[in-house]
Amino acid sequence: MTFRIRATAALVGLSLALLPALAPAGGPLPSLLSEAKAQQNTKVLRIGAIPDQKPELLNRLYPLVANELSRQLGVKVTYVPVVNYAAAVTAFRTGGLDLVWFGSLTGVQARLQKPGAQVIAQRDIDASFQSVFIANTSSGLRPISNVKGLSELKGKRFTFASESSTSGRLMPQYYLNQAGVKLSDFAGGAPGFTGSHDTAIALVQSGAYQAGAVSEEVWRSSLSEGKANRAKVIQIWKTPGYPNYHWLAQPDLDKRFGKGFTARMKTAILSWRPTNPRQKEVLALFGAQRFIPANAAAYSSIEQVGRQIGKIR
Amino acid sequence: MQLRAAPPLLVLLPALVLLPLALLLPGLSHGGGWELIGQFASAALTPSLEPVVLRSVAAGLLVTVAMALLGWAVSLVLGLLLGVASSRTVWTSLTGSALPATGIRRLLAVPRSIHELIWGLLLLQLMGLQPAVAVLAIVIPYAALVARVISDLLDALPTTNVEALRAGGAPAPAALLTALGPALLPGVLSYGGYRLECALRSATLLGVFGLGGLGTELKLTMQSLAFHELWTGLWLLLAVMLSLEAGLGGLRRRWLMPVRFGLQQPSVGLRAREMVLVLLALLPLSLLLGQALGVQPQALFTWQPLPPLQNDWPSVLAMPWPALVGGTLALTLLAACLAVGLAPLLLLLAAPSRWLRAPLRLVWALGRLWPPPLTALLLLLVLQPGVVTGALALGFHNLGVLGRLLLESAADASPATEQALACAGSGPRLALLYGRLSVVARPYLAYAAYRSDVMLRESVVVSLVGATGLGSQLLESLSAFAWDQLLALVVVYALLTLVGEDLSDRWRARLLASG
Repeated sequence: MTFRIRATAALVGLSLALLPALAPAGGPLPSLLSEAKAQQNTKVLRIGAIPDQKPELLNRLYPLVANELSRQLGVKVTYVPVVNYAAAVTAFRTGGLDLVWFGSLTGVQARLQKPGAQVIAQRDIDASFQSVFIANTSSGLRPISNVKGLSELKGKRFTFASESSTSGRLMPQYYLNQAGVKLSDFAGGAPGFTGSHDTAIALVQSGAYQAGAVSEEVWRSSLSEGKANRAKVIQIWKTPGYPNYHWLAQPDLDKRFGKGFTARMKTAILSWRPTNPRQKEVLALFGAQRFIPANAAAYSSIEQVGRQIGKIR
Repeated sequence: MQLRAAPPLLVLLPALVLLPLALLLPGLSHGGGWELIGQFASAALTPSLEPVVLRSVAAGLLVTVAMALLGWAVSLVLGLLLGVASSRTVWTSLTGSALPATGIRRLLAVPRSIHELIWGLLLLQLMGLQPAVAVLAIVIPYAALVARVISDLLDALPTTNVEALRAGGAPAPAALLTALGPALLPGVLSYGGYRLECALRSATLLGVFGLGGLGTELKLTMQSLAFHELWTGLWLLLAVMLSLEAGLGGLRRRWLMPVRFGLQQPSVGLRAREMVLVLLALLPLSLLLGQALGVQPQALFTWQPLPPLQNDWPSVLAMPWPALVGGTLALTLLAACLAVGLAPLLLLLAAPSRWLRAPLRLVWALGRLWPPPLTALLLLLVLQPGVVTGALALGFHNLGVLGRLLLESAADASPATEQALACAGSGPRLALLYGRLSVVARPYLAYAAYRSDVMLRESVVVSLVGATGLGSQLLESLSAFAWDQLLALVVVYALLTLVGEDLSDRWRARLLASG
């Protein structure tokens, strides 16, 4: 019996001795204590984005953005992925993210929650962005000529992209309201929320939903990449244009990174051109030719719609 | 004369819900996404083995396990302390009055009534995205749950020993520790092990809603319909879950079962030494995990100010409360009937064949494994959103939990009646039903009552996806940052679960008393 005890004791002792080997360098306690200090001292610009597209794409794009910004600004830049739209807004409010690529709705939500936040820039395509309503070809839905035609969607299985998406929820819902379609009019008494535009397209194409609403930009790139099959999924209506995505920065960046930092960051983003190979790749992944100045007043119409739909209170 | 159903039939009664369900389902199914379901199923056999995927899944799993272990360890310690502090016996011995115990017990009902997911989402708003949030989200409700079980266990122990020691002149603390400590140990060990299994499930679930770890990986791969990558994560999680269950089961048997037929008598104090060793090993392990996760205890105290509370109470009142509450209750009831009734029914159907039992166990393990929102997302591919879809997802998950329990307790039950029935010529199914199942029926139903209460708490998780009940509104309000609505929803949820807990307690007490 004593052998067993000794064996157990030896085993436990051995594993205890080996445990520190698993840990990264530095004892557990000192580093626990120094961590917070270190975070205050090092100046890291944390950038983020609403997860509107597949994580693979985001994970390819934003590290490139971080590199480019880091090169131009001379500070360390890291990309912090978030899992949903609301989390991005929360992370911005709680100071976990310094510069975020928001949609109109989430951008307005974030600015309301963080007074003084600065709108930095938008893409050339964001001044007049559009949403498309798409349908599975077996649903019997046909292209419509004006907004009233959306009433055809009553009783269909319908999905939005995300709860807080501007192009995949807010504006489509606004136009559905104009056509007299309530969310409870869809089959099952509620619309779906697939989480991202890509997934919404894939699910409408598969037939899991008969129709959906997504960003025109993602729809166009799905078609050109051959991911969307026109024999299975078609566009039935395109909304009028509205302002969308923009970069939003924390109000205190100048205090943390030095005077004029926010302005330098803005100049840097606006300077990206397709003639520079690195910047060309970033711009291509953003689906844009270049970034242009944006101002907060342009988004007041979105704020109104947001209040009407109940996504801004 | 009064007609009463025999216990084994009572066990099968909830399965009657299958009949209306069979009528409803054809109307609800649209079959649009069968192709995707097919892809999902076939991907089970060909999970992605690419190094990149394996690495990210392994890293995610490590985070999830660390969250679970840390949350569990802290909640167990806190729960033990709080449990002792809310025990009537302890207070009566120490001060002569049980009043403080009742007060603490009432207070602890509040953190307990709110699901860890809601805690997680609320804490996320307060503290920002950091690993400590997930750990704390597990600790708060778990500590309160453990405290309740510990105090119930303590108060159920006979007090004669304490009184004898006190009469002999021992001081109250020493008398309590000596008389109640050893008697409490088996209960603490077996319940503590069970909580670790729960913590793993909770940590995964929290990840699905964005708090990091394997759950987040699962959600993202599911969302981008990358089924091969999804299965890599699911299989790995299954392996961890099953080995954890087996390991805990082994420890439980080793430490709690009396040694029968043993040729060698274990030396005195062996078990105690082993337990102390395991406990000692847990401490550095927790510290290391905390460090690896990047949990910063001091970060727990830097709270972000919440945006001002809008006081738009008329609009809060105008929310469709009856529909929301009704949806939640219907969802829970349907899921509970499905889970409670199906477990014995499936066991009976599989009884005659050994070959059927293994797949049955696998299905139950998958049920425990899959976070219900993922199941709900899959079901939405072929069913319309609503109560039934949500209930199927929640029911499937709990079927896994209840099924395993039923199988284990049936295996432990005395086989005498079943063998007698079989020898007398009744078929294997009838012998099982009136033999073993009849023995375990009452404890099973009592546990089922407890589980229904858990399901009410968990209904928030699927209703986020199933577009029904309070949970769906919760997510809408959260993404609109409508704090007044959120507050009202959480309060209503807490009230519902408190009433549910009370009902399930009464029903359980009646079942166990009349047995």
